[in-house]
Amino acid sequence: MPTLREQPQAVVRIEQLHKYFGSLEVLKGVDMEVDRGEVVVILGPSGSGKSTLLRCINLLEKPTSGDIWFEDTRITDPATDINKIREHVGMVFQSFNLFPHLSAKKNVMLAQRKVLKRSKEEAERIAIEQLDKVGLSDRVDYMPAQLSGGQQQRVAIARALAMDPHVMLFDEATSALDPELVRGVLDVMRELARGGMTMIVVTHEMGFANEVADRAVFMDGGVIVEQGRPEDVFGNPTHERTRDFLGHIS
Amino acid sequence: MAVIAVLALVVSLTTPPQQAAGLTVEKATAKSNQQDGNEVIGGQPTRVTWEGRVAADEQISMLTLTFPEGTSLAEGASAKATVLDGLVRLEAVQDVQLDIQQAVITFEQPVASGLLLRVEIYNIALPAADGDYSIGGNYRNTTGEVVALTPSPPIAVISMTTVKAITLWLDDQPWVQSWNSVLFLRIFFNPQLIVASVPNLFDGWLHSLGLVLVGFPLAIPIGLGVSFLRMARLRIVRFISSIYVNIIRGTPLFLQIYIAFFGLPFLGISIDSYLLGILVLAMNSSAYLAEIFRAGIQSIHKGQFEASSSLGMNAVQTMFSVIIPQTVRRVIPTATSEFILLYKDTSLLAAVGVMEQMMFAKSMVASTGNMTPYIVAAGYYLLVTLPLTKIIASFERRLAAAEGSSTAPSSSKKRRRRLFAKPASDAPSEGVDADANPS
Ligand SMILES: Nc1ncnc2c1ncn2[C@@H]1O[C@H](COP(=O)(O)OP(=O)(O)OP(=O)(O)O)[C@@H](O)[C@H]1O
Ligand SMILES: [Mg+2]
Repeated sequence: MPTLREQPQAVVRIEQLHKYFGSLEVLKGVDMEVDRGEVVVILGPSGSGKSTLLRCINLLEKPTSGDIWFEDTRITDPATDINKIREHVGMVFQSFNLFPHLSAKKNVMLAQRKVLKRSKEEAERIAIEQLDKVGLSDRVDYMPAQLSGGQQQRVAIARALAMDPHVMLFDEATSALDPELVRGVLDVMRELARGGMTMIVVTHEMGFANEVADRAVFMDGGVIVEQGRPEDVFGNPTHERTRDFLGHIS
Repeated sequence: MAVIAVLALVVSLTTPPQQAAGLTVEKATAKSNQQDGNEVIGGQPTRVTWEGRVAADEQISMLTLTFPEGTSLAEGASAKATVLDGLVRLEAVQDVQLDIQQAVITFEQPVASGLLLRVEIYNIALPAADGDYSIGGNYRNTTGEVVALTPSPPIAVISMTTVKAITLWLDDQPWVQSWNSVLFLRIFFNPQLIVASVPNLFDGWLHSLGLVLVGFPLAIPIGLGVSFLRMARLRIVRFISSIYVNIIRGTPLFLQIYIAFFGLPFLGISIDSYLLGILVLAMNSSAYLAEIFRAGIQSIHKGQFEASSSLGMNAVQTMFSVIIPQTVRRVIPTATSEFILLYKDTSLLAAVGVMEQMMFAKSMVASTGNMTPYIVAAGYYLLVTLPLTKIIASFERRLAAAEGSSTAPSSSKKRRRRLFAKPASDAPSEGVDADANPS
């Protein structure tokens, strides 16, 4: 969709992204654009490069070639201050990655203090506010080890949100959770989407994708095979590989 | 005062020393009243021997020895005077009177020139306060003149302490005597020497603790710095820091001590030996700590780095706010083992004359000819190492409980084996080349 690329409201724009791990080409020329307020769900079989794509967006992986823009900045430019970009790109990991030595509140406060240089009081106020939003107002002083997986993941979401991100990346945020804990996390994500947050979500939760996504992207073998409105991609896939995949998981 | 002193000086310079002017006091000694020592304890019965030779030009009819102020007589005190002509004992003494101030000896007939007078006073107790004491007095010669004696050579007296009192008490106990009749017990576990060693070696203990309590904290920042260099992006930096670590870990501390203590003087560098000891220990330990820290940092899950990065934190912020706080808890057990090793290794400094526990023990052993001070020194080492070992064990249990098996460092069995030997590896995690063989 080349015409869309010039539009100013694009938060993330990816052009001809290639990524090799050694000689293994994991991303084979991915183009993608995510507009402000848009919720994009990425689906695809294991090993198709979904995580790698997401991790390239905040440069946890270094793209081999191609370009990525975040708002007006070409982040693939070596001169870009990547930490400045990451401030505005929230990421939620499958394995939560909370700081185990800090309480829920302190987890949410740390980067606010260190990166945004907020005062202790402000950081604390925002931490409590964000933890409240994800339904953990009664757990602010708990250590990660004292929280369930679902609670930990919601702390991780609060931690990312406290940085006022312009886009949120979710990499299988619910995959490590017991089924009964998935709902709480999805509820938080749904709320976030309703609130207008720009989101790129890698997930296997078809119901959630169907309900929340503005666009569904199907990846396989390091390329985007098919994308469109979720009801089209899910209900009427045009590609054989998409049909196969959907047949397998639903 | 000054005037008198000057006058006295002038007089002594102007008048030639009077040759054989009166009786010469040749000797005054007191027998040691310590079990295994050679000192004289004040306030305790001893035997004082005094000897004087009659001058060439006079004969003596009476001799009075006066004791220092504070002298007392114990039960069974007595004095015996003898007149000796060479080795021949002459019958010349008529009477000996003894009280706490003096002994007065009268002679049947005047003692002739050149004869030796020997007075022995049994069960006399010299003053309790420590100091040097002389025996004075006077004599009467046959012309009826009373001449003051020159003060005797001083007798060094040390004061009675609790320890000496206990030791003396122990000397008298039947069980101590039968205990000490067993050679092994007497040589290694002598009760009197245990009592004497404990306070004596306490100083040595403090010296050793001082070495490690200054040296180890010094090693921590150095070790942390080196561990960062070991993980640096630049290959050359990693290489240089690995040379440092491998050379230090691959050579004996004993050798390093020798090189530092005997090498630096060649370069004209002189450092206080205690301070140099601290520096060598710190340098040695820093290499081990560097590997402990590096392994600890590398055992932190990479998700922690990624989470920090994704929040916009830079490498320094990540290191100090996220990684090191988690590393600290993980390395405390191994770092504490390293502390224990270093504490024990302070003993090596005895070889180059640094005052520490071993030096104190060695000098006591040398003066008593008994091994007991070494055993007491062992007790002092254990006083530190055993509780620390316990603390490590409980800390490891708590850590394992808090973090769960997935993130806990390597098995404690591995570390425990190393505790009483120089470690082959202090790494809390597997797969790190933290072995003793330098490459
Ligand atoms: N750091 C890495 N080094 C080498 N290969 C990697 C690395 N990370 C990912 N890969 C490989 O890249 C390919 C894509 O991995 P990626 O994690 O992006 O897939 P994915 O779509 O997220 O799969 P999943 O659904 O299982 O999470 C896989 O073959 C994987 O083995
Ligand atoms: Mg993945």
